[in-house]
Amino acid sequence: MTTTEVGRSLPRLEARQKVTGHGNYTHNIKLPGMVHAKVFRSTVPHGRILSIDTSDAIALPGVTAVITGQDILKIIPEPYYGPAFHDQPILALDKVRYVGEPVAVVLAEDPRVAAEAAELIFADYEELPAVYDETEAMTSKAIVHDELKPAGTFPDLKHLIGRKDTNIALDFHLKRGDADAAFASAEHVYEHSFQTQQTMHTPFEPLISLAEPGDGRVTIYSASQSPSFARSEVARLLGWPENRVQVKVGHLGGGFGAKLYIKLEALVAALALLVRRPVRLSLSMEEQFYTITKHASTFHIKSAVDKDGRITARKCEVIWNGGAYADIGPRVTQKSGFTATGPYDIESADIDSYALYTNRPPAGALRGFGIPQLVWAYESHTDLIARDLGIDPVEFRRRNILRDGRPHVTGTIMKDAAIDAVLETLAKRMDWDAPFDHGSGTLKRGRGIAIGFKACVSPTTSVASVSVSADGSATLYLSTVDMGQGSDTAMSQIVAEVLAIRTEDVRVINPDTDITPYDMATLGSRSTFHMGNAVRKAAEHAREQLLEMAEKVGLPKKNTLNVPEIFRHAYGMQAGTVIGVGTYIPTYASPDKDGLSDNVTPFWMIGGTGVEVEVDTETGQIKLLKMVNAADMGNPLNPRIVETQLSGAAIMQLGFTVSEEMILDGGQVTNASLADYKIPGIRDIPPHIENHIVEAYTHDGPFGAKGVGESATFGVSPAVAEAIHDACGVRLTKLPMTAEVLYKALHGEQE
Amino acid sequence: MTYEILKPETLQDAFGLLDTDDPMVRPFSGGTALMLMMKSGIFSPSRLVVLRDIPGLNGIRLEEDGSLWIGALTTLAELEKSDLVAQHAPVVTHALRHLSNRRVRNVARIGGALAHGDPHMDLPPLLSALNAEVIVEGSNQGRRISVQDLVTGYYETSLESNELIVAVRIPSQQSWQSAYRKFTARSADDWPALGVAVSLNASRNEIQDLRLVVGAATERPTRLEQSEGILRQEGRSGLERATEAAMASVEFMDDAHGSSQWKKALLRVELRRAVQEILDRNT
Repeated sequence: MTTTEVGRSLPRLEARQKVTGHGNYTHNIKLPGMVHAKVFRSTVPHGRILSIDTSDAIALPGVTAVITGQDILKIIPEPYYGPAFHDQPILALDKVRYVGEPVAVVLAEDPRVAAEAAELIFADYEELPAVYDETEAMTSKAIVHDELKPAGTFPDLKHLIGRKDTNIALDFHLKRGDADAAFASAEHVYEHSFQTQQTMHTPFEPLISLAEPGDGRVTIYSASQSPSFARSEVARLLGWPENRVQVKVGHLGGGFGAKLYIKLEALVAALALLVRRPVRLSLSMEEQFYTITKHASTFHIKSAVDKDGRITARKCEVIWNGGAYADIGPRVTQKSGFTATGPYDIESADIDSYALYTNRPPAGALRGFGIPQLVWAYESHTDLIARDLGIDPVEFRRRNILRDGRPHVTGTIMKDAAIDAVLETLAKRMDWDAPFDHGSGTLKRGRGIAIGFKACVSPTTSVASVSVSADGSATLYLSTVDMGQGSDTAMSQIVAEVLAIRTEDVRVINPDTDITPYDMATLGSRSTFHMGNAVRKAAEHAREQLLEMAEKVGLPKKNTLNVPEIFRHAYGMQAGTVIGVGTYIPTYASPDKDGLSDNVTPFWMIGGTGVEVEVDTETGQIKLLKMVNAADMGNPLNPRIVETQLSGAAIMQLGFTVSEEMILDGGQVTNASLADYKIPGIRDIPPHIENHIVEAYTHDGPFGAKGVGESATFGVSPAVAEAIHDACGVRLTKLPMTAEVLYKALHGEQE
Repeated sequence: MTYEILKPETLQDAFGLLDTDDPMVRPFSGGTALMLMMKSGIFSPSRLVVLRDIPGLNGIRLEEDGSLWIGALTTLAELEKSDLVAQHAPVVTHALRHLSNRRVRNVARIGGALAHGDPHMDLPPLLSALNAEVIVEGSNQGRRISVQDLVTGYYETSLESNELIVAVRIPSQQSWQSAYRKFTARSADDWPALGVAVSLNASRNEIQDLRLVVGAATERPTRLEQSEGILRQEGRSGLERATEAAMASVEFMDDAHGSSQWKKALLRVELRRAVQEILDRNT
């Protein structure tokens, strides 16, 4: 199909507004009579609250109110929230479960007064034993939650209700074929364990929410990736109908999963309703470390391999460190867990995936939804097997790769999944078959390639509406949040393509739950596919109505719509509106008791990375000389934006690979600031980066497109580990791979 | 939490405002370090004395004796871009290009960078190796302090509360050559985990005299005198022994940048490379 607007690399529609300082950010909102909130946080990792003394804080001039969990109960009797489990209190009630957990809030006219008053609150705790490590939490006597509280709305979580004396929030199992028999008869058996660390999203716009109380209603302004969910969750907590809660979202300064479900929304709504004034809560960069993070994990992986280098069976045990509250962790455990065997054609598989509670800051979704942790392990494992068998790592992958038409271990037949094309693109662009200079002296060089894949969380719904004005311009109403990924532009391109107008003539209305229709959330690379399909349907619906109108007024039926002419003929002047509506939900089959399903995802995301590194063996310094990213994103709606998604994702994962780590001491994060938690700067970025879009088409996607925001995170970490191994013969199995870690691996602890 | 911000227009007024026993009264120039400490709650000032309106503390000039005079309020970016500095102390220009990031360099000032006494800085060891001194004025008699003697401990300097650095003087580097090497552990623009500054007088391709200073890995910039002695006597052939002596002679800090054991290894490597870098220029 030839398209004119889809496939156009036009710049983001909001770019000019943002770079000239006119971005529509939540931080710019000032409401009349607004008070500022400051959170008082727990200083103990696990403890029973004995008392909270707020008298000095309330006595400070300028303080409006000091609110504790007990006050929240006055308007929300069951103040527990969460997307899968209702386990997180708006403010701590009986217990605190991590250092940094919100315990009380000061409201004041001036944010500095609020901050000073928060320092004057004193809480007394009976400290309880704490557990931080996910493996220890499996058997620990320290129990984070007395009882599991899964949200009753999910049938697959019902069996967990009321479960006691465990830190396992959810266990997911997949069983295909007879893995034990395959292992018993295997030519080779390989077994390894890999670990990842807790890290943070670090959006440059920290979390912020405001709430304005109304007459029987509340308006929430929030930097949120999920306005529709925020509305229904706050309405549920308040016991109100959804239409009394309005959630408005402007531009986001990055999200990466940090701003999903609800974070501050219920808190500001409760505060505003308690004091009957608008309330603003803006977290500092430092406070984000105590809000939501990326799962640390331990992955034990074991493979059976036959004499031809074919993997015949794989066993995976993945333990996810979810921190003190479940957030979306149980879904990571499950929806990512079932891909733990990797993009390989494997006959028999056992997967056990566990979501653990610990006394760390909660972990949720972070760009990749658990996939980078899994790929780190299964691709490192793949390289180690190839090394032992003496097979080239690309060739070993070729022998085992999962091709279209073959069943994934869930039983779902692969389609529109260009796994082999991603691998071949990387091999070609890395010049894999050419001789490679491994360096000399103390500077050694190496290279590595890794690929990964991801299913899209399912089933989820998107709704969009397109309003066509009598002059032919169009307005798009949707609750997809553009947090920098360019969705407003891509969605406008779809509308423009269908209505045969210019993308620049489409205006996008930012999410406002009073106006824009439902969308599950902007997460997991689902928007292009789900919302893209809804937008396409909405635009087509508008187009059909316009064609009908044209026919009715006797205009010739032409492929090119002359919209102003149709309206003029229909209404005698420039008048009227046509509204098109589109809803999309993909087909899906829930996994059975063995974790199997013949339709487990609406589409597959495929990504991979190749790197060349230089290792200074005297210091352990690791320098990336070259990075090649490749992904199957179907037919890209906007190739230029898509390329920046690839480099952005890969650079973010590079930080998680070589430097970023939340360091805890007694449950306290000791590097909770950008001074001590270092994300890659401009001089940490490889001097040579290539981003390749492999040729592909997604048959169910809008104009053949699929999601892309996470794909380039998949391969980075294992590719770097393999490149280090190739350079200096040392295999690292734990992230991050810092210079000191490599130095110690090369030289031993004692020099 | 509330504090006053005062902006004196003369040095005398500044000294008056700073002359107190209150440790929460601090002079403020660029503020890059103080603001971080204030944000994290480590430091809550009662009074900040902003020095930017005081005349005569800016600029870079070449003195008659060939030394460079650098006003204390000179930003690191001005220093980085100065032709005079590039000509007379090129090692400073090179070091500044990789010091933190451009936003910090645009704001941070050389006087503050030295007076702060933070061990994780590039300039103290480097200026120390260049035999630079600070020109100090105060309520009482002014004085000059070598950069080596300025920092006395972890965030401690020999400055009195009523004293300010007004300028830095780098003596003529004629016949001296220098190198500065650092290792950043967590990102390229991080504070150094280790910095090594080397100045050599090696005019006839033999080491006549030298200064070796290690910073960041130690509580304060530390002169490696034993290693200097070995190199002075044995020249290039003593390099291995000199680096071993360096490792044994200083006490390394364990901190967020890395373990003392690793920093020890880094010193051996970076010191050797810094000395070699200079010697190789002459061959």
